Amino acid sequence: MSIATMPGTEPTVVLAQPSRQGWWRRFRRRPPAVIGLAGVVIVVLVAVFAPFLAHYSPIVSQFGHVLEGPFSPGHILGTDELGRDELSRLIYGSQATLEVGVLATLLAMAVAIPIGIAAGYYRGAMDMIAMRITDVVLAFPFLLIAVGLAAIFGPSLQNVILALGIAQLPGSVRIARAEAMALREQDFVQAAIVTGVKDRVILFRHLFPNMLSPLLVQASVSIPAAILGSALLSYLGLGVQPPTPSWGNMLASAQTYLYNDPWIAIFPGVAIFLTTLSFNLLGDGLRDLFDPSMR
Amino acid sequence: MADLLAIQDLEVRLFDRSGVVLAVRDVSLTIGEGEVVALVGESGCGKSVTALAVLRLLPTDARISGSVNFAGRDLLKLPLKDLRAVRGRDIAMVFQEPMTSLNPSFTIGNQIGEVLRLHRGLRGKAARDRAAELLSLVRIGAPEERLRSFPHQLSGGMRQRAMIAMALACDPKLLILDEPTTALDVTTQAQILDIVRDLQKRLGMSILLITHDLGVVADLADRVAVMYAGNKVEDAEVHRLFAAPRHPYTAGLLRALPSRGRRAGDAQQRLVEIPGLVPVLREPLHACAFAPRCPRNTDRCAKEPPELSPCEEGHTVACFHPEPLAAAGPAR
Amino acid sequence: MSEPVLEVENLRMEFRAPRSAGGKRVQAVRNVSLTVGEGEILGLVGETGSGKTTVGKCVVRLLHPTAGRISFLGRDITTMPAQTLRPIRSQIQMVFQDPYSSLDPRMTVQQIVQEPLAAHGRSSRQDARALVSRTVERVGLSSHVLDRYPNELSGGQRQRVGLARALVLEPRLLIADEPVSALDVSVRAGILNLLVDLQRTMGFSCLFITHDLSVAEFLCDRVAVMYLGEIVEVGTRDEVFGDARHPYTRSLLGAAPLPDPLLQRTRERVIMPGEPPSALDPPSGCSLNPRCPLADERCSREAPKSTRVSPSGHLARCHRVEEQLDLEVSHA
Repeated sequence: MSIATMPGTEPTVVLAQPSRQGWWRRFRRRPPAVIGLAGVVIVVLVAVFAPFLAHYSPIVSQFGHVLEGPFSPGHILGTDELGRDELSRLIYGSQATLEVGVLATLLAMAVAIPIGIAAGYYRGAMDMIAMRITDVVLAFPFLLIAVGLAAIFGPSLQNVILALGIAQLPGSVRIARAEAMALREQDFVQAAIVTGVKDRVILFRHLFPNMLSPLLVQASVSIPAAILGSALLSYLGLGVQPPTPSWGNMLASAQTYLYNDPWIAIFPGVAIFLTTLSFNLLGDGLRDLFDPSMR
Repeated sequence: MADLLAIQDLEVRLFDRSGVVLAVRDVSLTIGEGEVVALVGESGCGKSVTALAVLRLLPTDARISGSVNFAGRDLLKLPLKDLRAVRGRDIAMVFQEPMTSLNPSFTIGNQIGEVLRLHRGLRGKAARDRAAELLSLVRIGAPEERLRSFPHQLSGGMRQRAMIAMALACDPKLLILDEPTTALDVTTQAQILDIVRDLQKRLGMSILLITHDLGVVADLADRVAVMYAGNKVEDAEVHRLFAAPRHPYTAGLLRALPSRGRRAGDAQQRLVEIPGLVPVLREPLHACAFAPRCPRNTDRCAKEPPELSPCEEGHTVACFHPEPLAAAGPAR
Repeated sequence: MSEPVLEVENLRMEFRAPRSAGGKRVQAVRNVSLTVGEGEILGLVGETGSGKTTVGKCVVRLLHPTAGRISFLGRDITTMPAQTLRPIRSQIQMVFQDPYSSLDPRMTVQQIVQEPLAAHGRSSRQDARALVSRTVERVGLSSHVLDRYPNELSGGQRQRVGLARALVLEPRLLIADEPVSALDVSVRAGILNLLVDLQRTMGFSCLFITHDLSVAEFLCDRVAVMYLGEIVEVGTRDEVFGDARHPYTRSLLGAAPLPDPLLQRTRERVIMPGEPPSALDPPSGCSLNPRCPLADERCSREAPKSTRVSPSGHLARCHRVEEQLDLEVSHA
């Protein structure tokens, strides 16, 4: 049989391993990323199972055991100035910390992504409006927003989340917008336009799924930023109010005892550090994972 | 004609994320003085890797075996210091992408001057004069002024010419051109080919031309080596190769080209496809790599690898069932 | 003759250059008029900067033309609002050059080819799946690819998927923007053969954009040659390839190297110097005049009009052609 008469068929040759299945293996190959993931998982589990993990109440004072150091009987991390078990407070504190970090970021992204996508896809007036909004937000120092909200509506966890969410808006808008702008020029999006696919469908089916990776990476980096921000706000007295523990307000109340009993500051500080580091490592790992050049 | 370059049993293993790739398998090639040899094949055949191996420009984890004899010395065994003296001076290379081969932060004059300084010890006015001379050699007008231009101020064709000028700075005995015109427009391509042809005649250097474009081969080459999946499958003088290709792959390539005079309307003039894909070899193959796609394959082809053997004077082919002489030839 | 499927009149497309380049108005397309008849393949040939891709994008309304008129089956679609345009879009489809970016990496082949059906409300589940399956087989792929993602397919396979997507709605007009330029020679042949077959069985008209003359000659019924935003010559395939009148067309034909060493080295041709000028700063008069071997004073002053070379519609935009014809007429 001569080639000339063979119909123009192409054998179905599977070229590369479907990248879908390969991701866990690739992820596993990077120790820092795996450590980061482990750290994040641990913190999340601690927060979720706090009541089962903590032996003591985080808010009930026990004046008989004030400021006992680490490794004291019954209190492996010691007690704070009101006799409360440090470890238990640390465990319960993770809840407030994570709640703020995750919710603030989710809020920011939920608002920012649609704005960013619309700005990047439609350009023109939409883009200008979106950019001016972010400029306005950027013009206000984040602390000012937080303090202002607290002053008007009273200090609370919700206000901290709101303030942090607002502060994160510009970053997420920029990323969503940049991705939308780049994707819009890709041939497959142009093909969808030529085909007559409705805009709405293009945004949901073509743009958003192809943006997930950078957005996920952004989230894994925003969450620790929000955590640090919330720690700062707690420290200033905004946010979760005592006696409910958050790592930030634990730091704040530890101030006066820093010289003699530093551990009540060190432990929450280390907790913040490790959590933030875990998220950052995870974020790096995710970014490398999604980077096609590293596949 | 004395052999200037003799590649002998070259084997190159590269590593990608999935493991080892046998990029070049047992390739031998000779280039005589003043000879233009084309290394032809489609993407993934190993032609670029072969050229890079000559100057040891492959990644550090590449495993190379065999020998590359140049002017009596094996380049693969040369200490780095001596190799550096060869690179740019005795053997020069021009790459495919003129956009990225030139440093955007330095003027053309500066970059040509660097080569002159390194290998010839020229500086100042002597270097500038020589650089201008080189630019006019590649037909760049107003060469003294052009020396002060930055790469981004030049068009694609001019950049490629500047690259050629740089390559010629030290009168190399061998010029390696890696897909020199692929990134250029047709009219620019014609100019570059014209310049290269002219320079080769005037300066008498040997050229190793890497390309997938059979038109470029027809224009420049004295001899052609066809590569497939890391192997050399055919080696012949250029007129012979085009008039009577013996390897089914070579014949297939020529028949797949829409060349002047072929019309879709005429039934016999249908383009002949080669079904399937070029394989990426990760293990040694004890068979002919082209067999799965070959219309002439038999059981034998799947059991042993064909060796290069002469089918005519100066024409070798690696095939158990080479194309018969009468029927072969590009459809005209 | 039946009504043309596509009629483009005096199309002009301007862009604003980025501020870094001076922010001037760039005319990518200056004054293009063409028609594509029923079942006809019109080739649009040019080098980079000729504006051919821009013309294609204007026809499918990916761009808003600055001026001019685009008519599809007699209806003016130049400024038609999106809503009204949508149903018409199902009749004008496009295939793109880059097999790697023209398919959504997160969709399976099934989803990709089905999308056009869904977009135009032509998919009841059953019928859609069947139609997708049939179309995929029609482009030479086995239905096994339906569940695959683009990154699991080769370049040639991806282009076939792109074709399937474009043809599943059975459009009247297909705009093909360099569909084979990014593919290897042996793969190209398959796609070109496929296009010929599909066009014959489905009967669509095609605007085939390419820089490769040999492909244009193989495929197209009529050919239009573009230079710096204008059509400089247009005619049937035989007229343009056999009796080219415009100096640019002639130089293009001469520049592409022939895969035939004897012919290539003995042919007579003039290699045009210089490179296509930037659209930012077009030459005055005829845009080819700085490079044209036939240019004179009139050419730098006055832009040539389209001259009718033959009654069948062979046109060339050149003063010399006009003068030659005047001479012939006056001698008749």
